[in-house]
Amino acid sequence: MIRRMPVNRVVPLVAREVLGQAYFLLTFRHPEVAREARPGQFVMIKAGLSAEPPLRRPFSILSTDAAPETVTLFVKAIGPGSRRLCAMAEGDEAQCLGPLGRPFSAPPAGAEALLVAGGYGVAPLRFLGEELRATVGRVTLFYGGRTAADLVLLDRLGGPGLTVVPATEDGSLGERGRVTVPLEARLDAAPGPVRLYACGPDAMMHAVASIAGARSLDAEVSLESWMGCGVGTCLGCVVRVQSPAEERWKYRCACTEGPVFDSAHVLWPGEEESRARRASAQEARP
Amino acid sequence: MNLAVEIAGIRLKNPLLAASGTFGYGVEYEDILDLSLLGGIVSKGLYMEPRDGAPTPRIVETPSGLLNAIGLQGIGIHAFVGDVLPRLRKHDTALLVNVCGDTVEEYAEVARVCDGAAGIAGLEVNISCPNVKKGGLAFGCDPRMTHEVVSAVRRATRLPVIPKLSPNVTDITVFARAAEEAGADALSCINTLLGLAVDVEARRPRLGFGTGGLSGPAIRPIAVRMAWQAARAVRIPVIGIGGISCASDALEFLIAGCRAVQIGTANFVDPGVHERVLAGLRDYLERHRLDDVNSVVGTLEYPGLPRPCDVPGTAGERGGCA
Repeated sequence: MIRRMPVNRVVPLVAREVLGQAYFLLTFRHPEVAREARPGQFVMIKAGLSAEPPLRRPFSILSTDAAPETVTLFVKAIGPGSRRLCAMAEGDEAQCLGPLGRPFSAPPAGAEALLVAGGYGVAPLRFLGEELRATVGRVTLFYGGRTAADLVLLDRLGGPGLTVVPATEDGSLGERGRVTVPLEARLDAAPGPVRLYACGPDAMMHAVASIAGARSLDAEVSLESWMGCGVGTCLGCVVRVQSPAEERWKYRCACTEGPVFDSAHVLWPGEEESRARRASAQEARP
Repeated sequence: MNLAVEIAGIRLKNPLLAASGTFGYGVEYEDILDLSLLGGIVSKGLYMEPRDGAPTPRIVETPSGLLNAIGLQGIGIHAFVGDVLPRLRKHDTALLVNVCGDTVEEYAEVARVCDGAAGIAGLEVNISCPNVKKGGLAFGCDPRMTHEVVSAVRRATRLPVIPKLSPNVTDITVFARAAEEAGADALSCINTLLGLAVDVEARRPRLGFGTGGLSGPAIRPIAVRMAWQAARAVRIPVIGIGGISCASDALEFLIAGCRAVQIGTANFVDPGVHERVLAGLRDYLERHRLDDVNSVVGTLEYPGLPRPCDVPGTAGERGGCA
């Protein structure tokens, strides 16, 4: 695992863009995050020093820019913490710790990267997509939502090497249906080596994990969890994870051992054993 | 300017410790801040064996507070002593172990393991965790049990023994005295307050365990009151805990009679909190033309009562009046 030292800073907001429907792009100056952050990593951030609400919030990193030393977050104003962040004016200060967490890993040589984003979960996958299209080339991002208005970042995605496939459940934009519909169509059409990367609602990531399992594909998921500290001390954000070598699952911190996990190691709702463990137990049987 | 204090024979370079359960095993923060800035670190609660802890969700934010039911997930005392302690010892700060047990015997056993390990300055005895089914709070809400656990730990170790008292009792002074009689060297006051948050849509508790422990600024006035009561009731020193996030919060406890304080939930909110509180303490002493942090201890002018530092035979006695 790559170990990058998180840095705690008071950071000024340098740019704020309103994307409608309570979505914002917030850009802060944080030199270490700008230089060091990898796709899939996150920051813990809170507007100002006030007691309310008490905790910082985790946000996936949408993009970084090394020259002005900035980091941009994609934030939806939905609760007290995010609303305060989004109410900041340029020049206002926030407290920010980062970069944190385990990033996505690169796809194996020759494999195509298929990114599956559900709504708000697009942030870390845009970061990954931008990096992979420059290094690997062939990247496809499946971007799903209930309706067209959920695909807030659609016009900021794509470019040479990165194909975007939108899907909406109501059919208002792109393919009609869940994002896994075009994903499975793509997997049926061209069964070459691929690696899946997913971030979105739990049910969507569970569905992607099931598809990966059924087709014996590698998939990484970026899990969302309530976090208190971001550095593995409060143990509030734990998720159930089991590697093939482990006899039983363990609670692992989403903040330090994730947020990116191998989807086959995660215990999804209703499971008492991970897919990776089941598979290795079957192999071991004579 | 002197910021050093002494608690139960443990010299702390300043009166600020990181509270158990809010600072992991210390090493998690070694890349983020200079651990030698801290007066001390109290480890996450440790049993003999590793523990899974409580089901998720484990934390929920409440007004100016945090309700948690982590359930003492931990690596076990042997892993701490073998793997963590050698690394942690490189930092110039006092290391205290928070000792847990399902039974009186287990508390004593964990204490014995610590007694044989180099680099541990003292033991905080966790008789007040609200988030476990056995042990924990059960020992902290019955003064006879408190006495029994503290006596057992006392017999098992030569290290300073510091029971961490629960606020979930009618009269904390009864427990403070029971612990003192059993041979405690100091007291930590207080642990979290038992709470319940309800998801009204699902009509279920918001925490996986059900109830949880409330911490953060929301509990500070209760904590200051209880630490003050305890400090007036016993001779041994009291360490104040509860909702400290700035120097004035820490000073409330010191003035009320605590010899040191622990910073808890604020570690999550701001990993730089110790440095900030320390700078604020220096600032306060300068402003009040004091050259020793000990000189503010127990100087509370409470209507109708002598200052804690004027009462012979109490925790506050050796404080500010000297």
